Amino acid sequence: MSGIVLTLKKRPSQFVDLPGLTPEAIAGRSAQDIAGEPLQLGRRKVTVADLFEVEDRGEREIAVRGEESEITLRRSSDRLCAIGTSMSEGRIEVHGSAGDYLGRGMRGGHIRVRGSAGHCVGQGMQGGLIEVSKDIGDFAGGALLGATEGMNEGTILVSGNAGHRAGDRMRRGMLVVKGGAGDYLGSRMKGGTIVVLGPTGRSVGLGMRRGTIVLAERPVEVPATFHTSGKLKMEFLRLLFRELGRSFRSLAFLRTYGPLSERLIGDLSAGGKGEVLVLLSS
Amino acid sequence: MKVNGVYIDDTFAEAFPMKATRIIITGMTLKWAYRAANSLIGFASSVIACGCEADIECELDPEETPDGRPGIAVIVFAMSTKQLADQILKRVGQSVMTTATSACFSGLRCEPSIKLGQALRFFGDGYQISKKLNGVRYWRIPVMHGEFVCEEKTGVADAIGGGNFLVLAKTSRHALAACEKGVLAIRKVPRAVTSFPAGIVGSGSKVGSKYKFMKASTNHPYCPTLKGRVPDTDVGPEIGSVLEIVIDGLDEEAIRESMRAGIEAVCRFGPEKGIYRISAGNYGGKLGPYHFHLRQILA
Repeated sequence: MSGIVLTLKKRPSQFVDLPGLTPEAIAGRSAQDIAGEPLQLGRRKVTVADLFEVEDRGEREIAVRGEESEITLRRSSDRLCAIGTSMSEGRIEVHGSAGDYLGRGMRGGHIRVRGSAGHCVGQGMQGGLIEVSKDIGDFAGGALLGATEGMNEGTILVSGNAGHRAGDRMRRGMLVVKGGAGDYLGSRMKGGTIVVLGPTGRSVGLGMRRGTIVLAERPVEVPATFHTSGKLKMEFLRLLFRELGRSFRSLAFLRTYGPLSERLIGDLSAGGKGEVLVLLSS
Repeated sequence: MKVNGVYIDDTFAEAFPMKATRIIITGMTLKWAYRAANSLIGFASSVIACGCEADIECELDPEETPDGRPGIAVIVFAMSTKQLADQILKRVGQSVMTTATSACFSGLRCEPSIKLGQALRFFGDGYQISKKLNGVRYWRIPVMHGEFVCEEKTGVADAIGGGNFLVLAKTSRHALAACEKGVLAIRKVPRAVTSFPAGIVGSGSKVGSKYKFMKASTNHPYCPTLKGRVPDTDVGPEIGSVLEIVIDGLDEEAIRESMRAGIEAVCRFGPEKGIYRISAGNYGGKLGPYHFHLRQILA
């Protein structure tokens, strides 16, 4: 087992996909070996060493962390795309911004970004955890191109704001946004849970078939195809908030939230088995 | 061997393998969690005719329950996984789900498992909602009091039933006073329960009967009223009442610790308060694989 630190030499002139740099792909390999890994920069073929300073983080630190390997990306940029594609174990720590398609098709492991991330975070995600300390772009937790369902397992935790269409076509899993979200939050959702603690844009849950959207603030506009069940104590929220508070220290404050909420059922044009719960006691 | 002047028979309790699960029931208040739990453990004293044996293990603080409300942990024992599944479904469905403000969770997450919300969800008539949190699936069933939240499955563990000891006393009043204290001591031991009413058996049984249709019948060697009538009586002239405490546990250590705590609490009464002997029920060691020797436990 091994771990590496990749320090970006300078912001790339074009977007670079890093799908091959996953913890399982670097496991057991030397820094020298990884440095020769080919990358595509626009029309040019380059190597990891052309863009990054590659450093072996040594066996001792890895041994403490257990069997899984870890990749640390320093001075990261929004030009670095598809970080952690299809990864199933281990950990990627990103210092700086991450580009689009962070954690695309991710099946397990943990990606933590100490900065913002681009569009399509956790696209087609099937497991694992993505944490972003700042904002993310549009279509978080959405579907892979050509797929009819978005993320179907795993957790995306965003400390900043999410863009438009967050949770679009989401099938299962959890998306928590501590800030606000853009328009069409949870559109065409088929299951799973979205929690947004800040303001949201227009048409929340438009076309959603199943799933739960929990909002701490009343949305500016709810589609006409949602009907209200009125103010209720939703006992499930106690469980949800406790589980989130227990799992993530940064969400421990949720344990103080109560279950009182307004339940909006919809989208009635798509079966009406989804729900938007607007918290009234947060 | 004597403990505080109480003679300890050189014998052993014979116990049997069972299957068990733990259920956590929560309610709006502890009172309502108790209402549900007491209903669930009703008519669950012995597998001979009740289908299962069940009792409250302990109260749970809001910090200890999945939904942050006061709760009760109940352990249910049966002779097979199939029987346990059948009993759990009936009892949670009819006793817990029908109790206002209740919710039901697994207190034993392991494999193999049996259905909990996975079967009860159909009560939702299509309006039920599934939620998976941290790898655990829950069912939200819309009910008239609001929403019944129930975990999908609960684990089944190999367990032991039939740990026991007999309290031979001057009168039933003396025996009962000591046994009540004994049961209180046992309730402090985790992973073990006493399923009979108040934890005390007033009519302990032996296997078989002169009547072919009876699986069990009165434990005649310990019936004080049969002294002088049956040749194999085991109660001396000073004994006027015998009570039994039966313990089911999730492992041998839980039963051993419960028996020790219970016997010590009973023996504190001593002969001056009418407690003369402690014995145990067994079948000669031929039926049950678990033998709990009284003197070894108290040594």
